[in-house]
Amino acid sequence: MSALAPAPPAAALFDAARTEGRGIADTLRTFAVATRLGWQLEANWTDPFLFFIYSVAKPVSSALILVVMLEVIGGPAGRAFRPFVVVGSALWSFVVSGIAGLAWSILEDRERYRVLKYVVISPSDFLTVLIGRGVARLGVGLAGVVITLVVGVVALGVPFDPGVVDWPVLLVVSVMGLASIVGLGLLMAGIVIQTRQESWSYPEAFAGALFLVTGAVFPLALLPAPVQALGLLTPLTWWIAGVREALFPGGPGSVGGEGSLYASVFGHANPGSAEIIGALLASGVVVTLAAVAVFRRSDRRARQAGLYDQTSGS
Amino acid sequence: MAAPLDLIGRSGTGPRQAADWSRRQVILTDLRSVRGRAYPRVIGLMREPSWVLFEILLPFLATSAFVFVYRALDAPQEYVGFVVLGGALTAFWLNVIWMMANQLYWEKSQGNLELYFAAPMHFMSILFGMALGGMVMSSTRAATVLVIAGAVYGVAFSVDQWALLLGVFVLPLGALYGLGMVLASLFLVWGREAWHMGQALTEPVYFVSGLNFPVAHLGFLGALSVAFIPLATGLDAMRQLAFADAAFPAGTPPPGVEVLILAAMTVVSIVAARGMLIAMERRARRDGRLSVRWQ
Repeated sequence: MSALAPAPPAAALFDAARTEGRGIADTLRTFAVATRLGWQLEANWTDPFLFFIYSVAKPVSSALILVVMLEVIGGPAGRAFRPFVVVGSALWSFVVSGIAGLAWSILEDRERYRVLKYVVISPSDFLTVLIGRGVARLGVGLAGVVITLVVGVVALGVPFDPGVVDWPVLLVVSVMGLASIVGLGLLMAGIVIQTRQESWSYPEAFAGALFLVTGAVFPLALLPAPVQALGLLTPLTWWIAGVREALFPGGPGSVGGEGSLYASVFGHANPGSAEIIGALLASGVVVTLAAVAVFRRSDRRARQAGLYDQTSGS
Repeated sequence: MAAPLDLIGRSGTGPRQAADWSRRQVILTDLRSVRGRAYPRVIGLMREPSWVLFEILLPFLATSAFVFVYRALDAPQEYVGFVVLGGALTAFWLNVIWMMANQLYWEKSQGNLELYFAAPMHFMSILFGMALGGMVMSSTRAATVLVIAGAVYGVAFSVDQWALLLGVFVLPLGALYGLGMVLASLFLVWGREAWHMGQALTEPVYFVSGLNFPVAHLGFLGALSVAFIPLATGLDAMRQLAFADAAFPAGTPPPGVEVLILAAMTVVSIVAARGMLIAMERRARRDGRLSVRWQ
């Protein structure tokens, strides 16, 4: 080497730390950026007022459909059932947002913006990106829940007393319910990675099916026993029951009741808060772990088969 | 003198003459366009079997939830029938919103829209093709949901006027897909708003259309819906004809009146769609939005 040859720049030296990343700091940064991106995609298409109307129109309308059904058939007697359907309906809009949010992030990036392949090969953890994108829709869904409950209390005569609310139980079941919803969203994301064409409708269709078995708007006891069993294995059933029990202690429940599978198996009519939390924890852990496993497997297969690089025109 | 040219199968003495089509050629091309655009929707029924699960079984389960709400309230059996009929007809509304109104937005994102405008056909033939294919697709889904849910929940139809019922089934399709064409024209100049408006036009429309109960229970709001939303008018008329023995609330217009409303909606919406399409296309060309993607 000539004495006049320049020394190699320091930046050209191999920096092992760069390939390994910065662990949790990178994950948090990825999550924050993905969440911000998701929020921008979700919210910046219009002005805040129209966005607010848009965000609450759907859950409030869903609740109103049920309230009118109660009024048509039950009249004044049906009003005792209003808190039950308003809470169930409000929570369900959150479920749909959570389940659809992750799956639609995949579909939007693959079919519409066609950037999924670049996201997948970027150094960021794909799962973290996906959950970050889904959080924005969960935020919109949460706003819908709150507004629907407020409309229920203010306009529909749902009796609400903050003094009787079991706040610790509400907090615990809300956190565990959120984790379960994200888990189910991840499951749908894993499925739509593999499917084509009409995948856009799959998350809402899946949520619609769960709507039947979770006691969201009617007690599970009305269903055949095998379907009740399916509902009892679903964390959303326990989450909704837990929120109802926390907001309106002693009110009509969705899990038990006379003639229910729950009552025949456990020997008492309705589950208490501890049972609800235990069941939610157990079913939530199983669903979340299964969802992560399904997603990882789907992700691996999609990388091997080149599915991230394909668009289906759907 | 130059020999006659054969420009893509059309004889003429030059490109100008070849492009000067007779009325028959124009009509035939437009009809082929209608068939060509309807084809993927019809044939897609066979090519993508997963729709059976996601478009029939799962919506059936969602409809079932409302059936159980009525059962929890010990509602009369005809109300179960109202829910089943409403659930079946949602297939048409969803198709109109997502595969008519939003379709041009998708086409723009995928780069097909420029090709449609460049092709020698009237754009309305594309919309008619989309509508025709959508009707076949949705009718299959609606009929399947109706048959399955009707059998599972023991819905007993009581029909006195079959011919009118058939007419009431066909007329809302014209009005609904006419509305879809109007929205498609409107959405032509939109970006992500189109997708979000599609979202916003589901549950609120279900509510004001009386999807699970007779729309007259909504009073003045219900009357407005019957006057302006084809789903509400068609559903109410079909319920009255399919459940002739059921008691309907005061203020429910007779089916004959609703037929007239639907006929007027069909004509108005198709004429409006044509006018809107021309206006929106002009505006989109002026603003350069026909080929703007991913906004």
